[in-house]
Amino acid sequence: MIAQEQKPIEEILGYLEGKENVVLLGCGGCATFYHTGDKKAVDDLAAKLKSAGKTVTKISMPLGMQACDTEKSAIFLQKEKSAVENCNAILVMSCGDGVQVVTEYVDDEMGLAKSVIPANDAIGLVGGGPFKFKETCQSCGMCELGKTAGICPLTACGKGLMNGPCGGVRVDDKCEIDPEKDCAWVKIYKRMEKLGELDEFIAMRAPHEWSKCKRPRLFELEEPMGMMDMMGAMMNFNTITGYMSMMLAKPPEKEEEK
Amino acid sequence: MPEEIYSQLMKELSEGKYVFTGELEPEKAGNVNEPIAAARDLIGLVTACNVTDNPQSFAYVSSLAASYKIELETGMECVYQLRCSDRNRMALLSDVLGAGTLGIKNILALAGDHVALGDSPDTKPVFDLDSTTLIHMIRKIVDEGKDLGGKEIEDPPKLHVGGAAAPGAAHLKSEVAKVKRKINVGVEYLQTQVVYYPEILDKFFTELGPVDVPILVGIFPAKSFGAADFFDKYVAGVDVPPDYLANLKKTKEIKDKEERKAEVDRVNVEFFTDFLEYLKGTPAAGCHMMAVGYPRIIGPLKKVME
Ligand code: SF4
Ligand code: SF4
Repeated sequence: MIAQEQKPIEEILGYLEGKENVVLLGCGGCATFYHTGDKKAVDDLAAKLKSAGKTVTKISMPLGMQACDTEKSAIFLQKEKSAVENCNAILVMSCGDGVQVVTEYVDDEMGLAKSVIPANDAIGLVGGGPFKFKETCQSCGMCELGKTAGICPLTACGKGLMNGPCGGVRVDDKCEIDPEKDCAWVKIYKRMEKLGELDEFIAMRAPHEWSKCKRPRLFELEEPMGMMDMMGAMMNFNTITGYMSMMLAKPPEKEEEK
Repeated sequence: MPEEIYSQLMKELSEGKYVFTGELEPEKAGNVNEPIAAARDLIGLVTACNVTDNPQSFAYVSSLAASYKIELETGMECVYQLRCSDRNRMALLSDVLGAGTLGIKNILALAGDHVALGDSPDTKPVFDLDSTTLIHMIRKIVDEGKDLGGKEIEDPPKLHVGGAAAPGAAHLKSEVAKVKRKINVGVEYLQTQVVYYPEILDKFFTELGPVDVPILVGIFPAKSFGAADFFDKYVAGVDVPPDYLANLKKTKEIKDKEERKAEVDRVNVEFFTDFLEYLKGTPAAGCHMMAVGYPRIIGPLKKVME
């Protein structure tokens, strides 16, 4: 998922200077998961905007309805068509993908010229949870995990080295750049040692092929996922039993701060 | 040992002569007057000098330009430090060819500190290659006359490539594995990060086992308490011994400048005499003296090795 944080309200209000009539659009995807685009987040931000003197039309999108999916954003923007037409700005509570999907749709399909403003800062693709997440992949387009015992050298190593460790590893095997983070290459070594793959550790890995990541990358699906496919995928037996066991399980406790 | 020798540094190393090298630091300036003056002070004392490339990720005069100017004006042989932090593989290739064009004979290939540690933390870090792949690329250029993609290079440069090792690495096994990797791809000599403790070097040499690549051990006689303290605080992976640091700190109380200098020298000679005596019994091929701005200490320390 794409982790994100809401921008400081001062920054948001800065973008909205002189723009009194605002459409505030949430997101039912990652932003809902990270509390930066769910209904409550939309309500809270709307309240702040109102107390700063703005007129706000709230649009929240339920879980599974992501702002980055044009078809889904379209449904919600069209539902509030006249508000969108009359606003001075659309503030989108999603990652940058969602913001730009909305921009394109409003420009190209609705034929409007509106400021579309991000309310969030996207931090990156992260895994883990339920409290702590970390960035472990940057979707480079040419996965190297098969050469590095399953730990991404481009993302987990502060320098993105293909042949570490660098000379800066700290005494507690933490990274030169950040004493909070483990040195990825010491971890790769330890895993390869366990797997009996130290010869592979010593062998040189070729420089990464960045040609596989020519930005902006485009991607095409032969058969897009329709609404019915999605409903089916959500409602299969495993999902239902999965949700039920999740609900019956004890909720995770947050680690005590030391 | 390399089949062909292009530099004095490599010549002396391959002859088994005990080698001393020094260090010159280009500054944030539109000239290299300081390192040129420092190089003049070091002539006759060291075989070659490293010319640093944006050390600790502080941006200074290009080390290629500085290496060239220093060699031209003083005759001091330079080791052009080249780090991956700031250049992609194309820029690295251009600079290696540039070095050959300017007559530079030695390159020290480094990953480099992360840019977040330096004076331009908002810059985009590069690290397109790492130290190993940079060494590999340089050997390919020099030996095969080809770039990484296999394209021909006309009149390839003739130069040697060294690499770094960090004996003080807490996770020594992964560091040594990396050093072996550098040796496998053809590094011609190694220079260690600064070492202060014999035990650290002993462990490193034991873990590494016998290798046929000469190793220069880095030492850092500090010209003042401030220099040692900065090193302790900001150089990744190095701890300065507290006793040595405390003795240097005491010199700050001496009012008379000349007396203070003499006391700093005494502290350094005392500390490093023991260390250099110990070095004689190790497989080290020489000693890299990172005594930036402190040439007067090199003579007295070299005496220990005679
Ligand atoms: S190499 Fe790293 S960034 Fe690239 S796809 Fe694999 S995990 Fe992701
Ligand atoms: S300390 Fe480890 S993770 Fe950090 S930059 Fe160096 S090799 Fe990469």
